[in-house]
Amino acid sequence: MTESAPPAIELSGLVKEFRGRRVVHELSLAVPRGSLFGLVGPNGAGKTTTLSMATGLLRPTAGTARVLGIDVWADPAAAKAVMGVSPDGMRLFEQLSGRELLRYVGALRRMPAEDVAARSEELLAVLDLAGDANTVVADYSAGMVKKISLAAALIHAPRLLVLDEPFEAVDPVSGQAIRTILRRYVATGGTVVMSSHVMELVEGLCDRVAVVAGGRVLAVDTVTALTAGGSLHERFLELVGAGQLVADDGLGWLGAAEQPR
Amino acid sequence: MTALVVRLRFRMWWTAMTRSSLHLVSSVVGIIAALAVVGLLGPALGLLGLRPPRVAALTVPIFTTATLMWVVLGLAAAGVDNVLDPARFAVLPLRARTLARGLLAAALTGVPALLLTLLAVAQCFSWAGTPRAVPAAVLGGVIGVLTAVLASRAVTTLLAGVMTSHAGRLVGASIVSLATLLPLALNLVAARGRRVDALFDLDARPVARAASWFPSGWGWALPLDVAEGRWSTAVVHLVLGVGLLVVLWTVWVRQLERMLTSPLTSSGGQRIGRGRILPVLLGSTPTGIVAARRVRAWYRDSRLVAIALRTAVLPVFFVLQAVITGSPGLAGTGVVTLAVFAGLTLMNDLAFDGEAWWLHVTTGLRGWEDRLGRAIASTLVFAPSVALTFAVSVWIGVIGEPLPWLAVVLASFLGALALAVGVGAYLPGTAPRTGGNPFAATSGGAAQGCLTALISFIGPVLLIAPVVVAAVLTRGHTAWGWAVVVFGGLYGLGLLVAGVVVGGRRLDARAPELLVQLGRAQF
Repeated sequence: MTESAPPAIELSGLVKEFRGRRVVHELSLAVPRGSLFGLVGPNGAGKTTTLSMATGLLRPTAGTARVLGIDVWADPAAAKAVMGVSPDGMRLFEQLSGRELLRYVGALRRMPAEDVAARSEELLAVLDLAGDANTVVADYSAGMVKKISLAAALIHAPRLLVLDEPFEAVDPVSGQAIRTILRRYVATGGTVVMSSHVMELVEGLCDRVAVVAGGRVLAVDTVTALTAGGSLHERFLELVGAGQLVADDGLGWLGAAEQPR
Repeated sequence: MTALVVRLRFRMWWTAMTRSSLHLVSSVVGIIAALAVVGLLGPALGLLGLRPPRVAALTVPIFTTATLMWVVLGLAAAGVDNVLDPARFAVLPLRARTLARGLLAAALTGVPALLLTLLAVAQCFSWAGTPRAVPAAVLGGVIGVLTAVLASRAVTTLLAGVMTSHAGRLVGASIVSLATLLPLALNLVAARGRRVDALFDLDARPVARAASWFPSGWGWALPLDVAEGRWSTAVVHLVLGVGLLVVLWTVWVRQLERMLTSPLTSSGGQRIGRGRILPVLLGSTPTGIVAARRVRAWYRDSRLVAIALRTAVLPVFFVLQAVITGSPGLAGTGVVTLAVFAGLTLMNDLAFDGEAWWLHVTTGLRGWEDRLGRAIASTLVFAPSVALTFAVSVWIGVIGEPLPWLAVVLASFLGALALAVGVGAYLPGTAPRTGGNPFAATSGGAAQGCLTALISFIGPVLLIAPVVVAAVLTRGHTAWGWAVVVFGGLYGLGLLVAGVVVGGRRLDARAPELLVQLGRAQF
C-alpha cells in the first residue's frame, strides 16, 4: 500500500532451534500494512513458533523480527506497545474474572482506568461475555477463553493484531462477531496476522496468505492469486504434498462391515 | 493387565527423569533419602530382637503412627505423583477391579512402598527374641503395608471427588494443610512428657496396647499379642485388620468405578464480587494491580490457601510450646521462623502463574514492577500474621526482650522477601497445576531443585546475621535497642530494594526463556 512505511511485520532469516533440532529454517516474511494476513500450515509447521518469535514471547536462535519498523528483540517494550497478541493454548490468569482480566491487562499497559473500564464493558458486550464477566476465567469454556484473550489483545487499540488460531472452539455467532471486528479493524488501517488450519475460514476472511510447512514458507500471495486454479484447500494440499496420506487401500480394516460381533 | 500398569508407571517415570534434570535430581535424592532411612532405622529395628518383648513392643506404636502418616502424606503427594491418575484410563474398556489390581501393584512397586516394606521386614527381626511371634510379625507386616497403601489410595480417590468443586478444594486444602501439622501437635504433647532416655528400662507395652486398637495398628499388633500369648486378642486384631483391608478395597473399587464412568469434573461456575477495596488501597499503577492480583490469589487459589493456612497456624504451635516448656528463646525463634517462611513463600510465585505470565511479558511490564508488586502482596497477606504473633508473644510474656527480637523479625521478613524476589526470578521453581489438587501445595517445594532448598535454608541465615549480631550486642539497652530496630528495618528494606532490582533486571533480560521454563513449572 504505502511505499515508504515499513511493513507491519517483517521477518528476515528467522531460525529457531530446540535442543539442536531446527524447527524454523531461516524464515523470511513481510506482512504489508492494512492487510488481513493468514498464516496456514499443517500441525507442527512452526506457525506458533514463528508468531511467538515475532511477538517477543520466544527468542529466535538467529534472524530479526520487526513490527511496524521496530526491532522486536532490540527494543521489546516498544514493539509490544504497538501490538496486541492472543497466543493459542497459553493459559490466562485463571483466578481473575473476565472483567478483572481486562482491567488487569489495561492497567499493565498503563491505560487510564476510565478508558479501560469503558472499553472492557464494550468488548464484553460485543463478544457476548457480559453475562459471565464476573465468572473466573478458570471456569470459562475453551471458546470463552479464546474470546476473552482476544478482548485482552484489543483493549489498548493496537495497530497490529497477532492472533494464533482465533476461531478455534468459538461458536458460529461469536465467530461472526469476531470476523466483523477484524474486518472493521483492517478497514480502519489496522493489520491482522492470524494463523489457522481451517482453509475455508482463511479463504473467506483474509486477503493475503502464507503457507508454512516444516518451518519454511512455501508460498506467499494474495488469496485471489493463490486460489486462481481452485480452492485454497486444494492449493494447500498440493503445496504441502499431503494429498495421498490415506491411500485408497489404507486402513481397509476400518469399516462397519467388518466389525467383529 | 497388572504387569502392564506397572510397566506403564516405570516407563512414565523413566521418561520424566530423562526429560528433565529436575525430575532426575529429585528422584535420585528421594531414593538416597529412602536408603538412608532404611540404613538407619532397619538395623535399629532389627536390634530390638535382642531385647525382651516389652522393648520390641515399640514397633507397634512406631508402625501404627507410620501407617497413619502414610495416608496423610499420601494426600500431600497425590497431586505430585498423578502419573497413574485413574481418570486417564476412562476411555479404555477396563473394569474397576482389574484397574485397581494394576494400580495397587504400581503403588507397591513405588519407592515409598518399597521403603515401608523393607522396614516391615526389619520389624520381623525385632521379634526374633520370641520365635513364635515371628510368623505373626510377617503376617502383621503384610496386613500393615497393604493397609497403608490401600488406605492412602482409597482416601485420596475419595477426596478427589470432593476436590472437583472450588469450594470442595478450599475445604480439602484446609483439612489437609492442618493435618500435616499433626506431627507438630504430637511433638507438643510429647514435650510435656518425661524424657525417653531410659530405653533399657523401657516398658513399651502399655503404649503398644493402646496403639494396637487404632485401625492403622491392628495388623502391626499381631506379633505383640502372640508374644504375650493373648491368642483371643490376636484373633480379634487379625479379623479387624483383614476386615479393614476388605472395606478399603471395596471403597476404592467403588470410587474407581465412579471415576471411570464420569471422569470429567464439573466446573463450578465460580462467580465473584467486583472487589472494591484492593483497587482503592493499591491504586491502578502496574505495580499496584500486580499486588492486587496476588493478594486475591491468596484467598481465591486453593493451592495458595493451603499454604497460607499452614503458615498462619504454624506460629500458634511455637507459642504454645514456648508456654508449655517455658524455654525463653523458643517463641522468638518461632516468630522469626514464621517471618522467614512467610517471606520465602514468594520464591515460587512465578510458578503459580505458570505460562499465564505471558500476559506480563506481552504487555511490556517492567521486571521491577512485577517483583515489587508481588513483594507488596506478600507483605499485605503475611505481615499482619507475623505482627500479631509477635504482639501476642510479647503480651503473654514468652518473649522477654521485645526490642532485639523485633529487629531480627523485621530483618528476617524483609530479608526473606528480598531473597525470594531476587532468586525467584532466576529459579522460578514449581507449583501444582492450576485448578489441580491443592494437597500438592502442602508438600511445598518437595520436588524443587536442591539449589532452591539450599538457598532458602542458608540465605536467610546469612542475610540476617548482621542484625542478629547487633541485637545480641545491644541486649538490655533500651536506646540502643530502638536503634537496632531502626537498623533492622532499614537494612531489610535495603535488601528488598536490592532483591527487586536484581530480580527485575533478570526478568527484563530473560523473559522469553523464563516463559519457556514456566510452561513446564506446573505439574
